[in-house]
Amino acid sequence: MSSVPGRNKRLESAISILLLAILLLIGLGVFIKQFNVDMGRFGIDTTTAGPSLEQTAAITQEPVLDALKPDGFDKLAETETYNTGNLYEKINGKAPLYLESGFNKLSTQRFINKDDENLWFELFVFDMAAVRNAFSVYSVQKRPDTHTLAFAGSGPCYKTSNGVYFTHGRYYIELIGSTESTILDEAMIKIAEKFAGQTAIDDEKITEFALFPEENIIQGSFKLYLANAFGFEGFTDIFACRYKLDDESITAFLSRRPDPKDAQSTAEKYYNFLIENDAVAKPPTNTVLKDNNVKVLDFYGTTEIIFSTGPFVAGVHEAENQTAAEQLAAKLLAKLSKIAKEE
Amino acid sequence: MTEQNDNNFDRRQLLNRAGKAGISIAAAGLISYRLYDKNGPEIGVDAESLVTLPDFRVPAKAGQTISIVKGPDRKATVNKAIELLGGIERFVKPDETVAIKPNVAFASSPMLGATAHPALVAEVVRLCYEAGAKQVIVTDNPINDPSSCFTLSGIGKTADQAGARVILPKENLFRHTTLENGKLIRNWPVFFGPFENVDRLIGISPVKDHARAGASMAMKNWYGLLGGRRNVFHQDINTIIAELSMMVKPTLVILDGTEVMMTNGPTGGSVSDLKRADTLIASTNMVAADSYGCSLLNLKISDLPYLSKAQDAGAGTTDYESLEPIFETL
Repeated sequence: MSSVPGRNKRLESAISILLLAILLLIGLGVFIKQFNVDMGRFGIDTTTAGPSLEQTAAITQEPVLDALKPDGFDKLAETETYNTGNLYEKINGKAPLYLESGFNKLSTQRFINKDDENLWFELFVFDMAAVRNAFSVYSVQKRPDTHTLAFAGSGPCYKTSNGVYFTHGRYYIELIGSTESTILDEAMIKIAEKFAGQTAIDDEKITEFALFPEENIIQGSFKLYLANAFGFEGFTDIFACRYKLDDESITAFLSRRPDPKDAQSTAEKYYNFLIENDAVAKPPTNTVLKDNNVKVLDFYGTTEIIFSTGPFVAGVHEAENQTAAEQLAAKLLAKLSKIAKEE
Repeated sequence: MTEQNDNNFDRRQLLNRAGKAGISIAAAGLISYRLYDKNGPEIGVDAESLVTLPDFRVPAKAGQTISIVKGPDRKATVNKAIELLGGIERFVKPDETVAIKPNVAFASSPMLGATAHPALVAEVVRLCYEAGAKQVIVTDNPINDPSSCFTLSGIGKTADQAGARVILPKENLFRHTTLENGKLIRNWPVFFGPFENVDRLIGISPVKDHARAGASMAMKNWYGLLGGRRNVFHQDINTIIAELSMMVKPTLVILDGTEVMMTNGPTGGSVSDLKRADTLIASTNMVAADSYGCSLLNLKISDLPYLSKAQDAGAGTTDYESLEPIFETL
C-alpha cells in the first residue's frame, strides 16, 4: 500500500499508541479491581454463609480498658472494638444514631464478679470524635427521673438502678450491669471515676448552654439534636432544655447559625414545615413577641413558637400552656438579642 | 485501493464510512446491553441450589387465631394464651420435631428485655415435650457473638435444662434463598440448617422500641434468620420486615409484652427503659400479633409501615379485631 499524501504517520502512530495505552490501563484497572470487588452490593456474603464467630467482632487488645478492672472482678472476655463498618454487629438498630452523630470507634469490655457469676457488667466506650457528638448521643438517650452523679473530670453523668452513663470529652460511656446490685454500682462508679481520671481529653467546651435564660431551668435537661430535631430535616445542631413554669414543663430550643440570614431562613423553613403538617398560625398574646414578629402556632393542641434574632434561631416546642410558653419565648428572645448585639 | 489513495473523500465515501461506523457502534452497544446483568454475579449458587423454608403453619380455626392474656407471670400467661387457641396439641403432635426461634440478638442480661425471656422459652420447650414432641430445638443467629448471647441472656442454660437442643450458627447451616416476588431477599444466605427437617416453628420475641424500625416484635424476630451483611437492609427496614413475614410461615408466634422496652431500643441498657404491660400475645397470624403489640408501645398501626406492607403481601391482617381475639386476665 502506498502512503497517503497529507497524512502524518508519526502523529497517527502516537495517537494509536496512546489509545492502546489507555485501553491497557483500563484493562489493568478491571483486572486489579476484580480481586477487591464488594460482593455485598449483590447480596452475597463472601463466606457463602452467615457470620462466623470470628466475623462477629474484630477483637483487639485495648490495654486501657483492661487496666480499669475493679477489685473483686475478672475480665469476662477480651476487649472488643467496633468501627463504623461493623458497629451494627454490637448494637444493631441503634447503630444509625451513633453513625449519624460522628461515631468513630467503640470499645467494650465485660467484667464479672469473682464470687458471683450472676454479677457482671459491660463497659461501652464510644469515641464520638467530638465533645458535641458525645453530648448529643448522651442527651438524646438520657433516661428521665434518674440520679445525677458527679465526679472529677467527667462531663454530665447519671445513674439508673443498673447502669452509669456519662460523657468525658469526646467519649460517651455506658456501664450496664446485669442486675440491680450495690456491688455492681460501686464497681461501675469506680471504673467511671478511673476512666475520667486517666483519660486525657481536649479542653473543648459547649458554649450554647449559657445562651439559655437560667431562671426556672431544669438542671440536666439539656439535649443536643445534631440532625432532624423535632422531625424536621433542616433542623441541625439544635440545643433544647426544659423549664418549670406554672407547674408545667416547657421545652425551649435554640441554634447558632453561620449568619443572621441563615437563621432567618431556617426559622422560616421550620415555620413552613409546621404549617405543612397542619399547624395553624395564631396571633401572640405577648406584646414583645408581637412587636418582634415572632411566629406562634397551634400544633394539635400544643403551642409552637419560632423566631430568629441575629445568628440565632430559637423558640418553644410543644408547650401545653400558651401563656407560659410565650413568657419563656420572650425571655429567650431578650437574652439572645442582647448577645447578638454585643457580638 | 484507488479511492483510498485519493487526497479527498467525496460525500458518498464519507456517508458510507460514517454509516459503517454507526452500525459498528450500535452493534457494540446492543451486544453490551444484551450481555449486561443488572443483578450481578451469583457466586457459587445456581437456581437449583436455592432453598425455601418449609411452611410450618397449622390449619386455621375461626375465633382461635389470636389470644391476649394479661398477667405478670410469663409461665401462667403463655399457658393460658396457648390454651385459648386450642392447646399445645393443636400446634405440636407426638413425635414431631419443633424449632423455637427466640430473639437472642444481644449478649445482654434478661433483666434488660432486649432478648426473649429465658423462663418463657423454657416453658414453651416444656409444653412442646408435654405434647409429645420428639425433639425441641432452640436456635437463633444473633448479631453479637452467638455463644455470649445464649449464655448471658440465660436462654442457653434454661433451654438446655428444659431438654432442648441448642443450636448455634455455623457456616454450614446457611443456605441461599430467594423470596418469590421479593425485592431484597434474593439469593441471600439464611440460617436454614436447624429448620430443614423440623415439623413446627415457634417464634418468641419481646415487645421493644426499635430506633430504625419503630418497633421490634414477632415479625422483626425473623431478621435473625438472615445471614451475610444483613445491616444493609436497615436502609429499607420496612420492606425487609415485610419480606421476612412472607419468607417465614411459623406455626405460632408468642409476643411477650410482660415488660416492654419503651425507649432506647433495640438494645436498651437500663431497666428504666422498661415498662410493665403484663401482656402476652399468642397468635397464628403474626401481622395481627404485631398490630396489637404496637399499642403496648403507644404506637398506632400506621406508625409502623411494615405492618401494612406485610398485610398487602398476604402475610396476615392488621385488623386483629376482625379475628375475634380472645382476651383473658389472670
